[in-house]
Amino acid sequence: MMAYELHLLTNYLIVGALLFGIGLIGFLSRRNMIVMFLSAEMMLQGVSISLVAWGRYFNDLDGQILVIFIITVAACEAALALALILMLFQRRGNLDIALWHDLRESNQPPYVDRELPETPPYASGPWPSLTPAGRRPDLPREETDYRSHV
Amino acid sequence: MFSIPILLVLVPALPLLAALLTAALGKKVLREQSHWPVVAGIGLSLLAALGLLAQVRAAVDHADSGQVGYEQVVRLWTWADVDGALESESPQPIGIATLDFTIEVALRADPLTAVMLVTVTLVSLLVAVYSIGYMHDDPGYWRFFAYIGLFVFSMTMLVSVSNFVMLYVFWEAVGLCSYLLIGFWFQKPAAAAAGKKAFLVNRIGDFGFALGVFLIWTTYGTLSFHDTLDATGLRTVGVLGQTRLADPSLYVGGGVATAICLLLLLGACGKSAQFPLHVWLPDAMEGPTPVSALIHAATMVTAGVYMIARCTPLFHASGEAFQAVAVVGGFTALLAAAIAVTQTDLKRILAYSTISQLGYMFLGLGAGTLLGITAGMFHLFTHAFFKALLFLGAGSVMHAMGGVIDIRRFGGLRHRLPTTHWTFLIGCLALAAFPGFSGFFSKDEILVALKENSLYGPAPSLYGILYLAASLTAFLTAFYTFRAFILTFYGPERIPPEAGDHAHESPRRMTVPLVVLAVFAAFVGAWFFFTHGFAEFLHHTPSLAYAGMAAAETETAAVHLKVMILSAAIGLAGIGFAWLLYVAWPKTADRLAAAMDALGLYGLSHGKFFIDQVYDLLVVWPLVGLARASSWFDRRVIDTVVDCIGLAPRGIGAMLRSLQSGMVQFYALAMVLGMLVLIVALLV
Repeated sequence: MMAYELHLLTNYLIVGALLFGIGLIGFLSRRNMIVMFLSAEMMLQGVSISLVAWGRYFNDLDGQILVIFIITVAACEAALALALILMLFQRRGNLDIALWHDLRESNQPPYVDRELPETPPYASGPWPSLTPAGRRPDLPREETDYRSHV
Repeated sequence: MFSIPILLVLVPALPLLAALLTAALGKKVLREQSHWPVVAGIGLSLLAALGLLAQVRAAVDHADSGQVGYEQVVRLWTWADVDGALESESPQPIGIATLDFTIEVALRADPLTAVMLVTVTLVSLLVAVYSIGYMHDDPGYWRFFAYIGLFVFSMTMLVSVSNFVMLYVFWEAVGLCSYLLIGFWFQKPAAAAAGKKAFLVNRIGDFGFALGVFLIWTTYGTLSFHDTLDATGLRTVGVLGQTRLADPSLYVGGGVATAICLLLLLGACGKSAQFPLHVWLPDAMEGPTPVSALIHAATMVTAGVYMIARCTPLFHASGEAFQAVAVVGGFTALLAAAIAVTQTDLKRILAYSTISQLGYMFLGLGAGTLLGITAGMFHLFTHAFFKALLFLGAGSVMHAMGGVIDIRRFGGLRHRLPTTHWTFLIGCLALAAFPGFSGFFSKDEILVALKENSLYGPAPSLYGILYLAASLTAFLTAFYTFRAFILTFYGPERIPPEAGDHAHESPRRMTVPLVVLAVFAAFVGAWFFFTHGFAEFLHHTPSLAYAGMAAAETETAAVHLKVMILSAAIGLAGIGFAWLLYVAWPKTADRLAAAMDALGLYGLSHGKFFIDQVYDLLVVWPLVGLARASSWFDRRVIDTVVDCIGLAPRGIGAMLRSLQSGMVQFYALAMVLGMLVLIVALLV
């Protein structure tokens, strides 16, 4: 019985850790604000899964209570974050996080890895296009660069 | 009309009121009329003091025989009262184990105080009137009179309080007034430096005085002069109170008594400019001349003499302390007279003369006999008049000469300044102890006291030497006084260019005080000599009437007459010598100076025995060096360390600033890395 429970816990923890790790990597590597937000949510879910798993393993409800809290908080957070993202998008017409580094030290030069094309607000339509991030995969440009929506 | 307590309070209160009024209204309202409150205040104060003197005189005659001397203590209020401040095994006659520390603000009326009050207020009034003319048009006119009023208040309090702490307070207060008035023209660097020097040198003396007061407290367990009865009927025996005076065995003798007396003497040396601490008085001549006359000749500098006279029983208890007083006084008298012989600044000659005459007073006190102490006080009394007269005369000369005071630069002024000339002559005759003038009688009394001590006293050879020193001083005094007088008023008329068209007699309000003082300088000595009033009156002072004193009376008329003839001869010889050198054979003076110079004596005297330079070398320069080194250490070392500590956060911040790129992902990465570090740290 114990071995089975332990096995089950391990599996869930692995899944949780994977979810957390993917979320973390996604948060660090992507520049689109919506994708970063999704990654953060994914990290939360990874933690939630491991909490539920621990709760079951120790046979109490604390883990699950905590998870319900997390879901509640995440819902609020989603509302706030999406509203924020919308505001930011309206300012610059672009979802690239690299456009926002106003909180740097006043005497630090802005970090620019590549000049972004000047896109006036709503010039390219009501929806933003995804900005390239990370290492560019070796894919045909015509197919990959074209996205009708996110 | 007024009773003694009211008069006693009025004497200091009126000048204080005047000073406060002048200080408050002088600048804006009174301006050129600022002298009125102070002159009126001092004038009324003089009337009160005279009334007090009359009442004390009357009371002395009817004093009950059970009392030692005559005293009346007016207790105003209690300033401090600490219960059980001292666990004492000291020889309190009542044998109390714990003693209360009480400072009573109490004024006392006795002959010594009455005489001092009259002297102080009389000279102050004349000097204040003189100042109306002398300080005319000075921008600090109102300030001057406010200070003078404050000084008269402090000085009258000094001589009438009945507690060592209060004595110390007003001792400091007159020092403060002296400082303010020496540095009255503080724009002049020499005046500012002189004020500072006077204050600092006095600080040394005052430190000794304070230690003396502490020692009196631990020895006697009280600081009051008078006996006090508290509410429970418990009697505290004052240091100079009736109980102790009636039974001299209650005084502590031996080493403690000597220590107390020497510390008090140090305080007196500071205030009265005696030998090791005399250096401030000549420099104090930078102040206005009325100040020199009032504070640095007639009144404040005599505070030391007053204090020693007041503490006579303490000095008697020690035995040897009076000899220390006499030695200090004798040495100072001779030293200052030797310096005064070659000085060329009229005010400085008078300053050294003051030091010398104060030394004379100390000699009189140092005799330790009733005759000697009353002689010292008598000399204080006469000196106040003739030295104030001389200083005011010098001020009148200075006024006419446009501020020039160097006797080499003017001469033959007797026709231009007739009143000043005649009054100055009377002052000089009094100072030179010309027979018949006041200085002659008082100085003679001191010499008699010394002579008697050398004949009948416990230390005959010491007092014999001091008698010779005093005689030599008398000769030098007569010589330098008339040197200054002849060089100023006789010979061909010379007037320095600074005088301009000013070289005329001073206005009436300056000459009238001169004439009044001249009358006093001429006649006050003879009057009291022939009536014996002064000494007999002073004998009723408790400190002088006490039981330990009575035995020491061995005055003989023969000694008196011999000394009197001798001192008259000495005074005349000094005057004659000055006349020979500066009138009869004018070349001889230079030749004698050259001969003395060859022996090194002239330079020594002219350089004031280089005491200032020795003090510079031994005290001032090491301290200045220490101050400079400390300043350097503070600026260079401590400040650098502090600055480095201040710069460190800024430097560290500058290093970390490049991390603040504003990039969200970098912050996230930093968080992740930090978390990893924490995890690793937890696991390891």
